[in-house]
Amino acid sequence: MQFFGGSEISPSPPPPTVSGNNAHMLYVFNRNGVCLLYREWNRPLKTLNPQQDHKLMFGLLFSLKSLTAKMDPTSAEKGNLGVPQLPGQGCSFHSFRTNTYKLSFMESPSGIKIILVTHPRTGDLRESLKYIYNLYVEYVVKNPLYSPGAPIKCELFNSTLDQYVRGLG
Amino acid sequence: MIGVGKMKQYTNVLERPLSKGKQEVSLSGFAFLFSELVQYNQTQVDNITELERRLEDAGYAVGARILELLCHREKGNRRETRLLGILSFVHSTVWKVLFGKVADSLEKGTEHEDEYMISEKELLVNRFISIPKDMGAFNCGAFVAGIVRGVLENAGFPAVVTAHFVPVEGQQRPRTTILIKFAEEVLRREARLG
Amino acid sequence: MAAIYSLYIINKSGGLIFYKDYGSAGRMDTNDSLRLASLWHSMHAISQQLSPVNGCAGIELLQADNFDLHCFQSLTGTKFFVVCEPGSPHMESLLKYIYELYTDYVLKNPFYEMEMPIRCELFDINLSQAVQKDRVALLGR
Repeated sequence: MQFFGGSEISPSPPPPTVSGNNAHMLYVFNRNGVCLLYREWNRPLKTLNPQQDHKLMFGLLFSLKSLTAKMDPTSAEKGNLGVPQLPGQGCSFHSFRTNTYKLSFMESPSGIKIILVTHPRTGDLRESLKYIYNLYVEYVVKNPLYSPGAPIKCELFNSTLDQYVRGLG
Repeated sequence: MIGVGKMKQYTNVLERPLSKGKQEVSLSGFAFLFSELVQYNQTQVDNITELERRLEDAGYAVGARILELLCHREKGNRRETRLLGILSFVHSTVWKVLFGKVADSLEKGTEHEDEYMISEKELLVNRFISIPKDMGAFNCGAFVAGIVRGVLENAGFPAVVTAHFVPVEGQQRPRTTILIKFAEEVLRREARLG
Repeated sequence: MAAIYSLYIINKSGGLIFYKDYGSAGRMDTNDSLRLASLWHSMHAISQQLSPVNGCAGIELLQADNFDLHCFQSLTGTKFFVVCEPGSPHMESLLKYIYELYTDYVLKNPFYEMEMPIRCELFDINLSQAVQKDRVALLGR
């Protein structure tokens, strides 16, 4: 008998793009905007309480997505601004950069959003986010004790993630 | 015109040399000041002709002063008495002092004997100015027209001076022409002098 | 294919004061561009709040699947942003240059009212020259 997807994490993790610990924080949201996981490695500045912070982050992603979908200069059929987009529908974005940080974003077909905030000079993290999503599938989705939509409290996932992100930079 | 000139400070005004030296004025500084001049006058008027007149008046005072200064500085206290003389004085000497270059062209009007035109591809005062469509043919060169009128009138050549945009073939931007129409007496005197 | 799709200028309260399209697909009416501008204005502000460290000045580059958005904010709060092909180079210097054109041909124009839509012929002329592709490459040198 053969298992597809394998028991080990498929392909090997992409190599770190920059050396030195430069990850600030990571968010995982489900499609309803519930924050499943929030990890923080280096965040000296906190302006809001955690709930507000998560809400603001989700709101920013939502609005940026509708902005990019509406702004998409390559498609003629753009729909209306502010109408919720299904995952994978319309033109989305994968990162933005300010002078103090870089935010990388990925959305799975099921609407899981993974957000990684790093140093502004970090390179392309699309592969790394895919790898983190893979970790999520392996250690969270396949965990029989995990009920979908609940905050993630899987020891194995958290430690592997921690290790990977630290290795990332 | 770009860059700021340094002026040596003299305690006694009589010790100051008469030569103009190297005096440069910041173009931005001028542009902002001129912009404010136009904006201020705009608040004081209710039509475009009136605005044009006010700008011309502002220029007139500059022209009167510049004539005084340049006759003293450049011409050894003599002034031009002939029509062509004063025109080339405006076209080269005055223009050089005000705008750092001689005017692009000086022509005689083809239709009327008493008309002369000084043209400039891009008049310095209009460098940053776009006229809104609802203002029609208004030209901020009215200020320069006023200067020219100030020089001419105070030198004994009364004239009506106006600024106009003239489209140039193959050019996106029209040039500005300063139209000078001399008073009758000037032409009569000129004819008498032969 | 145009390297630059469109240019927006928004004033410090988020109002769109200039919009120019250089050939994006599909129609964008005035209402849409106004709403996009004010949406960008608030996203820009929110991105500053979410910064993990002090001194964040807002989004400089947004990388979408089909385009890049480069944004430059002047010290007075006017924002300039271009939508261009992914990976287009020299956009920061182009935005700085557009800002220069704005200070010259808009702010020095006595007929321009601050914070209002820009209708200045000289600005348009100089802008279209700057946006030409070879000109953009030249600025990067």
